[in-house]
Amino acid sequence: MSEGTLGIGIDVGSTTTKGVLIDTSGKILASHLQNTGASALKAVEQLLEQLSTESGVDPSDCPIIGTGYGRSIVELAYKTVTEITCHSIGVHSINSEIRLLIDVGGQDSKVIRIGRNGRPETFSLQDKCSAGTGRFLEVMARVLEVSMDELGPLAMESKSPCSISNTCTVFAESEVVGRIGSGDRPADIAAGVHLSMAAKIASLSRQVGVAAPVGITGGVALNPAFRHYLSKQLGQELWVPENPQLTGALGAALIALRGQNE
Amino acid sequence: MSEEKPYRRLESQDLLQQIAFRHGLEAMAASEEGRLAWVTSGFPVEIPVAMDVFPTYPEQAGAIVGASKIGPEVCGFAEDLGYSQELCSYARASIGSTDRPDDTAMGARPTPQALLACNNICGTVLKWYDAISEMTNAPVFLLDTPPLEREQLPHHRAYVRRGVDRLVEFLADTFNTKLENEKATKVADLSSQAIRLWTKVLKACANKPSPLNCADRFLTMAPVVSSRGMEHCVEFYEALLAEVEERVKGGVGAIRDEQTRLLWDNIPPWFTLRFFNQLAARGVGFPADTYTHAWSGAVEGSDIASILDGVVDVYSNVYLNKGLEAKVDKMCELIKDYDLDGFVMFSVRSCKRYSLGQLVSKEMVTERTGVPGVVIEGDMVDSRLFNEAQVQTRVDALLEMFV
Ligand code: SF4
Repeated sequence: MSEGTLGIGIDVGSTTTKGVLIDTSGKILASHLQNTGASALKAVEQLLEQLSTESGVDPSDCPIIGTGYGRSIVELAYKTVTEITCHSIGVHSINSEIRLLIDVGGQDSKVIRIGRNGRPETFSLQDKCSAGTGRFLEVMARVLEVSMDELGPLAMESKSPCSISNTCTVFAESEVVGRIGSGDRPADIAAGVHLSMAAKIASLSRQVGVAAPVGITGGVALNPAFRHYLSKQLGQELWVPENPQLTGALGAALIALRGQNE
Repeated sequence: MSEEKPYRRLESQDLLQQIAFRHGLEAMAASEEGRLAWVTSGFPVEIPVAMDVFPTYPEQAGAIVGASKIGPEVCGFAEDLGYSQELCSYARASIGSTDRPDDTAMGARPTPQALLACNNICGTVLKWYDAISEMTNAPVFLLDTPPLEREQLPHHRAYVRRGVDRLVEFLADTFNTKLENEKATKVADLSSQAIRLWTKVLKACANKPSPLNCADRFLTMAPVVSSRGMEHCVEFYEALLAEVEERVKGGVGAIRDEQTRLLWDNIPPWFTLRFFNQLAARGVGFPADTYTHAWSGAVEGSDIASILDGVVDVYSNVYLNKGLEAKVDKMCELIKDYDLDGFVMFSVRSCKRYSLGQLVSKEMVTERTGVPGVVIEGDMVDSRLFNEAQVQTRVDALLEMFV
């Protein structure tokens, strides 16, 4: 049993499932991200297999921590920890300066104030509706007939973003359709969409209290237009880790390794 | 290995059940005799009781509907009549059960002859009682107690006092009865005794471990809400206090292994009191809450005039009739006096009056006390508005902060 020398963190999100395997120094030996799909259980199985192939380590030999909204289904996990704590610890291990973390995932978003010890001090979650999450951008990308990867760069071409006043995904969708109908440029509409979403996340952040430096993680952190508008709204530079989707799983792996939450 | 539950059952619960049963029978009899009044939870019940008018509480009926897990169904009866899902679920449960009493089992109240509402808890009660009045033909009396930002000023006091005088006249006319000195002083005395005993019970929870958990208080608060001024109410709290003091003496806690002490804010989700018991299994207890502490003002007085002044004072100053600052003060005071590690604020979709401003007060309380808190969302009766997984994540994250 190699307990204490390796650790695995598995973050079962509503859109993607992420896994990280680290060694005793915290170095990532293997990591993987895949769609959660209809069966989270299956996604976790496949993920563990992938980690095992990549590292040559048998996962059943490692302490595992499950996190994310589907954390309770990680059968091999000896414990579950919320994504709030895991993201804090994961981000803190990469950049201990970060005081406010904004994580925008596929179906939810969260803002966490991180204490100097790397643990969350306070937080706010938006998991009731798809407004202010990756899902909002997905819907708008579909209406604008571009892929998710193209949506951000398209918005960056705009010099005068449209105003999209609805934050609700359903209403905003019809507003966007209306904009298309009145002949607005797709780039301006795309920019308006990001602006509206950034405003929503900025207000969630203000609920917690904006404290610099600010970091951003989650799938939406990869979108340059979202980062641009959010940074403007908050009046803050945004730090993005190299793998912004893996920080929750990384935090979980670190907890597994250190037995931090015992 | 024994399968011990993580929490302990109160002996006094048996007595509580008897009282509730008796109260129900008495309400039915009073309705048949033409002397039943429905009253809101913040109503000066001492006055109808002293005038031989029997009180019953639709809010308590709402709690029963919630606890019996038929909230969505009974609220749905009201929604079928056209009431919005945004309306307070106590009001919906009450309107729904009045419309379809046969489908509501324990939750329906016997037909009232008067509806006594005091808006010291919210403005919803007036419209709600108006609706019940249309359905039952019982007249509504509204005691108006304008919200207090700070201290009660003389003109405020005089205004509410005129309302209380009118209440006495209204009851005298409607029920052909009188407010007499002897009965009034007796009822006021019984009411204060009950309040004092209840306050002692609450204060005993400052002990470690706390002799009562949240769910215990939510259940045992029933008589102090519904039967103030009646003898059996005093008897019940004497018994409860004795049991609580016994627990304190023996170092016996409401939960077996109290490790984390939290404050609860707002009405509980009646359909899942299990929530507290599950946390008990993890060593988390709630020695204090803002809800059961709301029944704390004793009406003192040696004659009718001084009693009515006492009523004005106590019922204008209830928790929900005051500003945000007073709520924050109360929470900070409880956290300090009960030595609590953090707090959970339940944002109740139904009760805007209780829940509005919680995000702001959460920050203020943390700033002043240094302890973390969390806001969870849901409802007290309408379980459709309660997402267990979302609530769990928030509460778990709070608990992880204590590691
Ligand atoms: S709105 Fe709130 S205070 Fe008013 S009746 Fe409903 S629960 Fe009670």
